[in-house]
Amino acid sequence: MSKTSTILLSATSLLCLAAALCHISLKPVLAHAQEPDQQTPTRTAPTRNPHDFLGLGRAPDIAAAKLGEPLYKENCATCHGPTARGAQGPNLVRSVLVLHDEKGEEIGPVIKNGRPQGGMPAFTSLKDAQIYNIAEYIHLQVELAANRGLYAHSNTMTSGDTEKGKTFFAANCATCHSVTGDLATIGARYPQPAAMLARIAWPSTPGPRQAIVTTHSGEKLTGTLIHFDDFETTLRTDAGATSTWPTPTVNVDIPDKLAGHRALLPKYTDDDLHNLTRYLMTLK
Amino acid sequence: MNLRILIFLTLLTSTFLLGQGTKPQGLDPKALTLFHQPADTWPTYNGDYSGRRFSDLNQVNQTNIAQLKVAWTYKITGIGSLRGIGNPVIKSTPLMVNGVLYFTIPDHVFAVDARTGKEIWRFDFEDHGGHLLGQRGVGMYGNWIYFLTPDGWFISLDSKTGKERWRKKVADEKLQYFTTMSAVIVKNHVLIGVGGDAMDVRGYLEARDPETGEQQWRWWSEPLKMGDPGSETWPNQASMDHGGGMTWLPGTYDPDLNLIFWGTGNTNPVFAGQGRKGANLYTDAIVALNPDTGKLVWYFQASPHDTHDWDNVETPVLFDMVIDGKPRKLLAQAARCGYFFVLDRTNGKALVSKPFVGTANWSKGIDQRGQPIPDPGKEPKVDGSMVDLPINGATNWPPPSYSPLTNLFYVNASEGYGVAYLYDTSPEPEGYAGGGSGTFDPRSSLMALDVTTGNIKWKHVAKGEGSEGGGISGGILTTAGNLLFTGDSNRLAAFSPADGAILWSQPLNARVSNGPSTWTLDNQQHIVVAAGDTLYSLALNRK
Repeated sequence: MSKTSTILLSATSLLCLAAALCHISLKPVLAHAQEPDQQTPTRTAPTRNPHDFLGLGRAPDIAAAKLGEPLYKENCATCHGPTARGAQGPNLVRSVLVLHDEKGEEIGPVIKNGRPQGGMPAFTSLKDAQIYNIAEYIHLQVELAANRGLYAHSNTMTSGDTEKGKTFFAANCATCHSVTGDLATIGARYPQPAAMLARIAWPSTPGPRQAIVTTHSGEKLTGTLIHFDDFETTLRTDAGATSTWPTPTVNVDIPDKLAGHRALLPKYTDDDLHNLTRYLMTLK
Repeated sequence: MNLRILIFLTLLTSTFLLGQGTKPQGLDPKALTLFHQPADTWPTYNGDYSGRRFSDLNQVNQTNIAQLKVAWTYKITGIGSLRGIGNPVIKSTPLMVNGVLYFTIPDHVFAVDARTGKEIWRFDFEDHGGHLLGQRGVGMYGNWIYFLTPDGWFISLDSKTGKERWRKKVADEKLQYFTTMSAVIVKNHVLIGVGGDAMDVRGYLEARDPETGEQQWRWWSEPLKMGDPGSETWPNQASMDHGGGMTWLPGTYDPDLNLIFWGTGNTNPVFAGQGRKGANLYTDAIVALNPDTGKLVWYFQASPHDTHDWDNVETPVLFDMVIDGKPRKLLAQAARCGYFFVLDRTNGKALVSKPFVGTANWSKGIDQRGQPIPDPGKEPKVDGSMVDLPINGATNWPPPSYSPLTNLFYVNASEGYGVAYLYDTSPEPEGYAGGGSGTFDPRSSLMALDVTTGNIKWKHVAKGEGSEGGGISGGILTTAGNLLFTGDSNRLAAFSPADGAILWSQPLNARVSNGPSTWTLDNQQHIVVAAGDTLYSLALNRK
């Protein structure tokens, strides 16, 4: 069995998923895919429920699915596979009947009566409530495949070499960074490998940037960019005064704090990134 | 009141009101042309069949652009937040026929007087599921309007009244299909595509009868059974049956060749290729089909064995050009996978295959046909694999433009780096099975590409990032007034098509969210553009 399905099957992860379905606490995956939406970015990003966003219909009943899991394992998994993706019996996650089922009205009769022609026995001893719970467990398997907002990065790495990461760091990073100084506890701050990799590749800090604006008359002002585009530049100086100019009339100098990182982006191999991630995760 | 008098008064009032405004009338089929649609009409999503989004109009031009002002606005009211999405955003390009604009958001169609911006009618639909991500607009045939809903209903409306004529189910939202396309009318065929890749289903494209709505043909994005041409690019029947390849953007049409050109979307499962080894035809491709039969004539695959969600639906733009003394019928596409392709549209042979964003480090170069060769070493990995494209790709649905005055192809592009992760390592993964993360060193650019070489002639990188407010947005329109219109920050901006200089801009209430379009009414050229929930019409202020 794959690692992913192992993760998806555990009871604790079901509870996490229950929390996620309610609160959407897992964040690393992009919820959009066909196209980025064109909502004008706002300073407070709206909390978007990926289940609703994707139009996935009724959300599965997590409590019922949890009760249904052992029943499914006992009665169904041999033929339909541990996560309902099929074995000698059909895949249920991609089943048109399952996808059309709302609350067991389609799945229920099949469990109860079986499909003698297809070799599926009738499960006459299962009570209605148990059948409902099994149906919800199957619906949860559909949700886990279809709702990419519930996907999560792995917490463990399968590749990367600490020693090679150390060598790469010494050759490429050590002129600006120190493993006993600014990065001494980086592994504790980014314990999740994908978050660490992103931090290594592009450690941009969200929020307004600092800039030096030189006006037409030669005056230099230092402060925070409140607004900056091809047309208008608004700067709040360190003293608190705010000024706006047409962008073409001023020179806006934004110190490039990420020049070193930018220069490395085209040079990294995936191995370099994995090695570096491994190495920096040891710094706690 | 006497009932007869009431009826009389109602009739009188409605006649009076209609007399004040513009009466919707049908679309003359002669307005549907390969190039050069009539000046007073924008009859289809891209204006004409070519997808160039180039207009012959030049009343608004470089010498008078400073006088271009907002003539009217139409703001969507009374609809509220869309399920799972938020505020309504107009992504559709309005058709303009006989003085009436027809445009959409998911579940809603609007008919608005093109002279005044006053609403004539509105059609409201209540869906029972489906993804409300976008709606590209309506199609029109004579007096009839065609509209697709998030839950796969194909609806015909009377353009005069907005009243429903009939509806047909064309896609099953329970299988996670959803429909957003602006129908393309070719002869007596209404062409409609589908979206939806949350589950693993087959893409298809349909032709329907404009009068009855009945299906004329359906073309599937994958071969139907093992042994069929193209099936050798799949390991087994099940992988083809669940292979994706959605057809969610309007294609283009050459009446002389009698071919439609359509882009197909990403392969499914999206980020996991281990269960579908092979090139996975005809997903992530440009296909040329006979519009009368739905039969494949040629294909060109932009992203073979796609494992990065690089829908290849971006407009296949048609243009004619003389190269080395020979007139050529060409097709160009700036693809989401980062390559720019120029093909001979009579046979699909490539003239240009060249990355326009990054180096396409996911590919090991191109094959003899000019198709990229995917690098297995850059498929998504459990620990991540970095590509020199943003994870959402180099470009997306916002329409590009080609100007015959400059012979340049214009596209709004995203540059940077992204990391693709594999989550489902099982032999037969399902759904997305992975995902993207990070956009490193992001840049938002307007690019002009030389169609004979694929070289970048000029590039404008928008200043500002994130909360500062900068960024290129929406689609592109070029005109014979030597102007290029697109969104930049919260403005509609006019650029010089020759060199990318910014000539003019108009602040809007939000980012440009559709492709700008243009037409002339009463000897006045209008530029129409949407930003969020508001449609803007601009014209020269000649007072």
